[in-house]
Amino acid sequence: MADILLVIFGVSLLAASITNMLSSIARILILQGLILFALTILKTNELNTLEFIFVALETIVFKAVLIPWFITDTIRKNGITREVEPSVSNFFSLGSMTAIFAFGFFIALWSGKSSPNIYPLHFGIAFSAILKGLFIIIANKKLITHLMGYLIMENGIFLLSLAIGSEMPYIVSLGVSLDILLSILIAVLFINKIRNSFEDVDSDELSTLKD
Amino acid sequence: MLYLYIWIFPLLAAPLVWVLRSKPMHNLTVFIHSLLHLLAGIAFMLPSTGMAESLNIDALSRTIFLISGVLYFAVGLYSLRLKTELTPRQSSIYAICMMLFVASMDGASLSRDLGLIWVFVETTTLASAMLISFEKHKQSIEAAWKYLFICSIGIALAFVGILLLIIAQPHSPSLFLDRIISNAGSLNSFWLKISFVFILIGFGTKAGLAPMHFWLPDAHSEAPAPVSALLSGALLNTALLPLLRMQQVMNISHLGTLASQLFLILGFASMFIAAVFIMKITNYKRLLAYSSIENMGIILIAFALGDLAGKAGLIHIMGHSLIKSAFFLTAGNVYYLVGKKDYNACGGLLGLHPASGWLWLIAFMFIIGMPPSPLFFSELFIAFGFIKAGYIPALIVYFILLSAIAYGLGRAALGIATGPATGRKHLPLSWILPQMALLALAVAVSFLIRSRLQP
Repeated sequence: MADILLVIFGVSLLAASITNMLSSIARILILQGLILFALTILKTNELNTLEFIFVALETIVFKAVLIPWFITDTIRKNGITREVEPSVSNFFSLGSMTAIFAFGFFIALWSGKSSPNIYPLHFGIAFSAILKGLFIIIANKKLITHLMGYLIMENGIFLLSLAIGSEMPYIVSLGVSLDILLSILIAVLFINKIRNSFEDVDSDELSTLKD
Repeated sequence: MLYLYIWIFPLLAAPLVWVLRSKPMHNLTVFIHSLLHLLAGIAFMLPSTGMAESLNIDALSRTIFLISGVLYFAVGLYSLRLKTELTPRQSSIYAICMMLFVASMDGASLSRDLGLIWVFVETTTLASAMLISFEKHKQSIEAAWKYLFICSIGIALAFVGILLLIIAQPHSPSLFLDRIISNAGSLNSFWLKISFVFILIGFGTKAGLAPMHFWLPDAHSEAPAPVSALLSGALLNTALLPLLRMQQVMNISHLGTLASQLFLILGFASMFIAAVFIMKITNYKRLLAYSSIENMGIILIAFALGDLAGKAGLIHIMGHSLIKSAFFLTAGNVYYLVGKKDYNACGGLLGLHPASGWLWLIAFMFIIGMPPSPLFFSELFIAFGFIKAGYIPALIVYFILLSAIAYGLGRAALGIATGPATGRKHLPLSWILPQMALLALAVAVSFLIRSRLQP
């Protein structure tokens, strides 16, 4: 069961590289949030009840509902119906995603022999998600897409911490705090202010400070 | 217990500051916090109190805690008479963020648990982003956004590094540094190497090392002067500390050479980037920010060389923090007096306000390593370290970069200090005294080193 969910998670990463619409990436994020919630329930039998409730609630509330809702809302309010505007083509993006997968699984399989506590499928997909998130951040111009890239990266990190959670349960709740950082980052502080000060939320606009 | 000590005052004072609506009271609260902080720092340093031992704080943490205590006290003093156009509500938020920022910085520098260090570094990012965006210009919001976003990515990568460090420990993994060091023999070297790289990039982003430095010049130049002083003098050290801890782990696991090589690469990259931009740009606050990048590079090089040069790294940390924060505070005076950030448009500081002018010049002389600055000793010891390790070409590059930076900074410093002045202005004493004290302390540090050198 967990394996199927992991594979779906991997497929969602591939889907993220071929889509051009911001709203469909937001839907992918919801899907990933739900998968992570299911995996939390399946995988973390070592947590005590209180921690378990905290982590599970956090995953469903932040990852699957609150942050995607906020992003969809921002897209609608700003009227960003345009596409993602990547600096690279879909074909290249899909190709690089494949390369990232290959790299992630290579590392997982190659080193997995020496460390018995690594499950290659889990580790490979988590690592690929982290790299994919970084790739999205580098390859796109819009701030909102940067945020989505960061979210995908963070989902990958959460997946990785679930893999380790069986040995060190408190690391999972530590990873959760990264989410809370992100929610504060986007929700309260900045998008609104940036929207008021800059005409469009595009990183090219953020260039008054340069050398 | 330790965290209770650090957090009790900010947590109690924050609601009070929120309720009070008078700006002088806010500044006074910050000042009292800084005074308590300084006293705690001194108490940790004195062996007779035994506080450091009972709380399990080692010498490195103690030194960094004391430095941030001294800087925070200077900043608190400077802020007492700060004239701002903030509303009372904004001023209370400023005070609360300041206290939370310092308290989380302390948590990060005193903790022995990598997980907690990581959480505290994350908290410093949030609190200081608020402080940077305080002036609410277009520029400061942009700077805060870049800071928050780039550092969040860095923090996330550091977390990946911490996760990999757990994978590297086959039996009973722990993030407690003493446990990691005592189990160092059983660490899996492959995962340890990858984890080190991630942690280096992650916390290195926060420490402003090139090529992850892009947020630093923006953030340090757009923040209000007291905040710039703390960011540059205290926060960078705090972010550097986990890197030094990890180097220790690498050394014990016989991977010290790799750690040194990576440190050298990043150190020289930082010095090079700083030299190039210092020659080119004209905004003097950005120049100071680039100089911080340079000094972080020098510190990394010092710890990469180890041995005597490693001790020089510690001296450099102290010297840089004291001098650079004095420099940033004086830059605040310059901006107040002249109102421009481009040094070609400024001039006549010596005539306009002689005390600030002299502070400006002395801080400049000290930061480029003229004696009696402690940076003179540390840079000299690092040069000896290069000779001892046999890296002569690296030594030559090191001196060329240092001279280029000295030239670039000198052009700005002299340009602002000299020239015809129009009239004379008056500044409150609390805008001059902290810098004097910081520079005097720097001289005291170098005399202390000199007395240790005597046979």
